[in-house]
Amino acid sequence: MSQTPTHPKLDAKIPSGHISEKWTNFKSTAKLVNPNNKRKHTIIVVGTGLAGGSAAASLAELGYNVKAFCIQDSGRRAHSIAAQGGINAAKNYPNDGDSIWRLFYDTVKGGDYRAREGNVYRLAQISNNIIDQCVAQGVPFAREYSGLLGNRSFGGAQVSRTFYARGQTGQQLLLGAYQAMEKMVGAGKIQMYARHEMLDLVVADGKARGIIVRDLVTGEIERHAADAVLLCTGGYGNVYYLSTNAKNSNVTAAWRCFKRGAFFANPCFTQIHPTCIPVSGDYQSKLTLMSESLRNDGRVWVPKTIGDKRSPEQIPEAERDYYLERKYPSFGNLVPRDVASRNAKEQADGGKGVGETGMAVYLDFADSIRRLGDHTISERYGNLFQMYEKITGDDPYKVPMRIYPAVHYTMGGLWVDYHLMSTIPGLFVLGEANFSDHGANRLGASALMQGLADGYFVIPYTLGNYIANNTFPKVDESSEPFAATEAEARGRINQLLSVNGSRTVQDYHRSLGHIMWDYVGMGRTRDGLQHAITEIGKMREEYWQNLKIPGSPDTMNKSLEFAGRVADFMELGELMARDALQREESCGGHFREEYQTEEGEAKRDDENFSFAAAWEYQGEGTLPTMNKEPLTFEYVAPSQRSYK
Amino acid sequence: MSDTLMTIHLKVWRQDAPTQPGKFVQYTVPGVNPHMSFLEMFDLLNEQLSVKGDIPVEFDNDCREGICGSCSMVINGMPHGPQRGTAACQLHMRHFKDGDHIVVEPWRAAAFPMIRDLVVDRSSLDRIIAAGGYISTNTGAAPDANSLPVDKDDSDRAFDYAACIGCGACVAACPNASASLFTAAKVGHLALLPQGAPERKRRVINMVEQMEKEGFGDCSNHGECEAACPKEISISAIAMMRREYVKAVVGS
Amino acid sequence: MKEPNKLLSALTSQVGRKLLTGITGVLLVLFVISHLSGNLALLRSDPAPFNQYTQTLHSFGLLLIIVEVGLGLLILLHAYVGITIMQRKRAARKQGYDVVASKGGPSRQSLSSRTMAVTGIILLLFLVIHIVQMRFGPSISQGYSTMINGQEVRDLHRLVVEVFSNIWWVAFYVGVMIMLGFHLRHGIWSALQSLAAMKPRYSTAIYSVAFLLAVLLAVGFLILPIWIYINHRGATV
Repeated sequence: MSQTPTHPKLDAKIPSGHISEKWTNFKSTAKLVNPNNKRKHTIIVVGTGLAGGSAAASLAELGYNVKAFCIQDSGRRAHSIAAQGGINAAKNYPNDGDSIWRLFYDTVKGGDYRAREGNVYRLAQISNNIIDQCVAQGVPFAREYSGLLGNRSFGGAQVSRTFYARGQTGQQLLLGAYQAMEKMVGAGKIQMYARHEMLDLVVADGKARGIIVRDLVTGEIERHAADAVLLCTGGYGNVYYLSTNAKNSNVTAAWRCFKRGAFFANPCFTQIHPTCIPVSGDYQSKLTLMSESLRNDGRVWVPKTIGDKRSPEQIPEAERDYYLERKYPSFGNLVPRDVASRNAKEQADGGKGVGETGMAVYLDFADSIRRLGDHTISERYGNLFQMYEKITGDDPYKVPMRIYPAVHYTMGGLWVDYHLMSTIPGLFVLGEANFSDHGANRLGASALMQGLADGYFVIPYTLGNYIANNTFPKVDESSEPFAATEAEARGRINQLLSVNGSRTVQDYHRSLGHIMWDYVGMGRTRDGLQHAITEIGKMREEYWQNLKIPGSPDTMNKSLEFAGRVADFMELGELMARDALQREESCGGHFREEYQTEEGEAKRDDENFSFAAAWEYQGEGTLPTMNKEPLTFEYVAPSQRSYK
Repeated sequence: MSDTLMTIHLKVWRQDAPTQPGKFVQYTVPGVNPHMSFLEMFDLLNEQLSVKGDIPVEFDNDCREGICGSCSMVINGMPHGPQRGTAACQLHMRHFKDGDHIVVEPWRAAAFPMIRDLVVDRSSLDRIIAAGGYISTNTGAAPDANSLPVDKDDSDRAFDYAACIGCGACVAACPNASASLFTAAKVGHLALLPQGAPERKRRVINMVEQMEKEGFGDCSNHGECEAACPKEISISAIAMMRREYVKAVVGS
Repeated sequence: MKEPNKLLSALTSQVGRKLLTGITGVLLVLFVISHLSGNLALLRSDPAPFNQYTQTLHSFGLLLIIVEVGLGLLILLHAYVGITIMQRKRAARKQGYDVVASKGGPSRQSLSSRTMAVTGIILLLFLVIHIVQMRFGPSISQGYSTMINGQEVRDLHRLVVEVFSNIWWVAFYVGVMIMLGFHLRHGIWSALQSLAAMKPRYSTAIYSVAFLLAVLLAVGFLILPIWIYINHRGATV
């Protein structure tokens, strides 16, 4: 195993010193920008979720001129808003033995030893500042009668370190960041560009110096110059068409940066969440997550007999298979997300799935209701039960819930160093959009933590260091790099519109989703992945010959917006399959059926695959090449996970 | 649970641009599954239109799980449709019958200028927040989170108000097109928390002023906003905003 | 925030306007209650108590006039603010909906709430007629005099009876009092919602009390012309 990256650009720039001192060391030696000079610099922030919103607000407070862009009609709507469960921090308020070290350890282990130790430790250190910051902003976290903050346990952790705001933690945190951002909009330090989509990155003299955007209302293509670009555009789960992501979540901004030279790391690492409301038909446009806290009191089962189509109450106890309790006696229904998801798929694939589509398993609360009463269950899960009933029309107090795994989060993303800078100088990537700190699997309540850590507390230091260490000759928006990049963006739009075929974007996207879910989903095989690559290749070819986009480019036109995004999703899907193919091991969310233990558990190969796979674009028609950033574990020794 | 497909007759507002006159257009959508959400029924309509080469209906939507606040349709005269506590994205077709006629219109308010079809510009709500809907805490300046205990009841009530998703249904439902519930929800959320106290007076005065500047109407206590609110925020927020306002003007 | 222009701008703000309507509204409701309680004397067949009541009011002389002018200003302020609100409402939604429906539940929207401006304007016009007809109607010099406690006073009772012997006047007054009921049905609730520190759980109770009060006041007033008409039908004018 090589200890040096296979590409000089893959220098992680981890500061020296003991792991607990690295971040402090960096902060004490980083170069600073004089307050009077900050206002001479313009920073572009793309995306206004937790990462983008918090970064835009913090940088504007420091004095930078910020231009913030989002595709929604307001900075308050980014998909961070939908996160339900909570946010982790190592506060140890419950006095149950938590510490920065433990949060660091759990995150590295939970990520199945595919994350960078230095980054994860910093994340755990910053986690406490996030809670302080959010409380000061007025985020209404749950409180005890003492008036102090409440905590709950979450996703396999042995301590209660999750702060939450009912089932709407993401919403409340995002509104905190959004309000901080609006304050700076009011102060004139942030210029907000809502309903704008980033189409390309402008690189001048080797540095990211601007972006090309499309005004989604007028269709106008605009150029925006800056001294650095922060990409906070979220994950790419919608490559599967059906996911818990919002409809507008997409990979386009990140993908166009990839094509300008930013490496894309670990694209195959996706998280499939075990408790979502199942697909009910082909018309389905998105999937809704039900918080995994439900597994605390619900029992997962399927009928013992294949093809048993009786309604659940007609299936006697003896003919039910509580397969998680049977296979994992010590963790039972509380096994980690990836294990729970894979097992549900196994049952459905084996013909024991329930419901009209057979693509679901039961999550049954009958025992808990008998034991605790309707009242307690409703206190714990009332809003979730209500949401379930709203969507399915079934009452979970009477009928077992039907659940099935769904794509939820993508751990992969643009490669960044310790400074959150990509392989293009001046292009920083924050939040879910980077390949981040979660390795091959993200723990519950850690996504919010990472987005806010990046935006509030990391980027203000690392960006300042970059600005102070570099010179920024003025680039004009009318200069050649802008003109050329804009011409390319226009060319792509014209090309899409000129196809004038007969299949709609939705139709292609749905087909792509089927391929991705079937072959690059929960269980992956060499043959399946190769099949996916071939199929996507064929689809891509057809796409450019048979796509139909109604309407014109100079108005609001969602079909056109989606056409660009789906084109990028197809290319990304292919790269995901290639990445999954090269990773001949199972780890976290990536399960290669060829690589499992005798009991059917994921089998990691630390000898050969303890690296981040950073893919490098090589031009149209040429396969991207893979570079390796080796991962070394000085502080946490990798071990095999077991939940038996 | 019947899965018989339905046929739905829609009368939808179509408008190419703010400068052009709009009109209602009738569509018949066959093959509507009762499990579909209202927006999925629109997806189906748009697929049918696209295949025919017609221009699909534009409508704002994003999370489709009732939290982002993007969706904005007045369905049979009611913002987000007939089901209480529900955004249009979580309204399901099982609440309609085969052969139903449904009228779909955009949010209508002078402060929400038309963009296209069912899409309107709600940035006026952002500007109300920018006028004071925040607590000024620069990043890094916060004391320990538990250094300031907050009464649990206050905190819970603050949450009830903070649950606002900023969709603007309150404005759309109000006979006066008032944004009082939206503004009051934020005023109430921040006024109930000790962290919000230093800016309390300035906040309510500036936000009320901005609401007026944006051209929203006055509150006449119709209470239709509370009925239309997908988060069922109580108009007690508006009463609270008025008290805050009086305190700010008189008691300074 | 203490400069006078700040207070003025506060009073003319959305919140200020609402509070002004509420405060003036509550004062007007108090007036309406006292007016009705005095007028209940008309239910008696003996004209003396009613004339005694009006005489007592007039004995206050200048004070009465001050109160009357005050009431007039109150009404004008209430109307002015109300009309401002209506104008803003029109400007706030230039294009209306094709279909309008209430979502029910906690909604307090009703015919009453939607017609506040209309019923308000009708009441204002009515007031002009009513004042001209009663306050400035035929007086002692026109022979409408009677003796109370040995003193010659205006026989307002006679005037009232004469007016309400005419079925058209009865219909007019009854019609307007129904309008008053409608105006108060939303008005009382709205004033309480604007001014009171109301917890959501009291909302329904207050809404019901407002309804009861509005009905009592409207019925109390409209019963008078009907009662008088029934008892004095055919009396000479």
